[in-house]
Amino acid sequence: ARRGGRMARAEPPGATFERRVLRSAAEHHYLRVRLELPDGGARPNVAQFKQLVVSALRELHGEVGAALPVDVLTYEEKTLSAILRVISSGLVKLWSALTLLGFYQNRRCAFRVLQTSPFLLALSGNSRELVLD
Amino acid sequence: EAALPRRYVLCEVVSEDPRCRQCIEDRAVGLAVRDAIGRVHGDYGLACCSISFTVKYLNAYTGTVLLRCRKDSYRLLCSALPFVRQLESRNQRYPCFLSTLHVGGTIRTCQKFLIQYNRRQLLTLLQNCTNKEERRCIQKSLLSCSLTEEQAQSGDEEDDDGIE
Repeated sequence: ARRGGRMARAEPPGATFERRVLRSAAEHHYLRVRLELPDGGARPNVAQFKQLVVSALRELHGEVGAALPVDVLTYEEKTLSAILRVISSGLVKLWSALTLLGFYQNRRCAFRVLQTSPFLLALSGNSRELVLD
Repeated sequence: EAALPRRYVLCEVVSEDPRCRQCIEDRAVGLAVRDAIGRVHGDYGLACCSISFTVKYLNAYTGTVLLRCRKDSYRLLCSALPFVRQLESRNQRYPCFLSTLHVGGTIRTCQKFLIQYNRRQLLTLLQNCTNKEERRCIQKSLLSCSLTEEQAQSGDEEDDDGIE
């Protein structure tokens, strides 16, 4: 007979589910950015855009920053907006470099970061630009 | 909590050109190191490391340099040291490189390491002597080194006396 007799409770069956919590596990972070060039001059093409991003990193974070793996996934020359992908450990460096960039070919410019997410799918919808009829 | 945590980086200037020794002065070395940090880590790295960055001690004869920086940014400093390629002073520049010998939390630990290191270097120099004259010179130096306990103005370098 078991000790405790009738007062002992049976052990619950083993758990059938498992919960895993991953913090900052995503490899890359995605940023949707827009370059603002208030003067109506020539717009950079995608190669010049990437060069601009890398040179911003080089100014603020040196050669180490410029070597950060940054990819331009999409680029629209008309609206000067792009989706950038960066390795997660480099997000702070990239974002700070974009924030502090002030000039493109001696023309005043500014980067606006519209959305950021560790999942690319999350950038497909933007509730800020949602138009309710 | 250590008051204003600092790290002291002990390094050695190595150059093939013997004239580089005349460039080993605190301003030239400080500028070269800060320039390297600026290139490798950008404006942010340079600003981070420049807080309480100085050249604390220099020995032009042995090429020993002691740098001080904040504990938070010593990794930025140490990773930029291999990128120092030349020293410039009085419009003369000579190629060289810095090799890191020791990183310590206080000047005292760096000094203890430097004493041991110099002792070992003297022995190595003795072994690598090519002729009797040099050998005699070094032996004389080694035997004449002594630490006297109380002296009105004791020299800073206890061990080596400008041995080339």
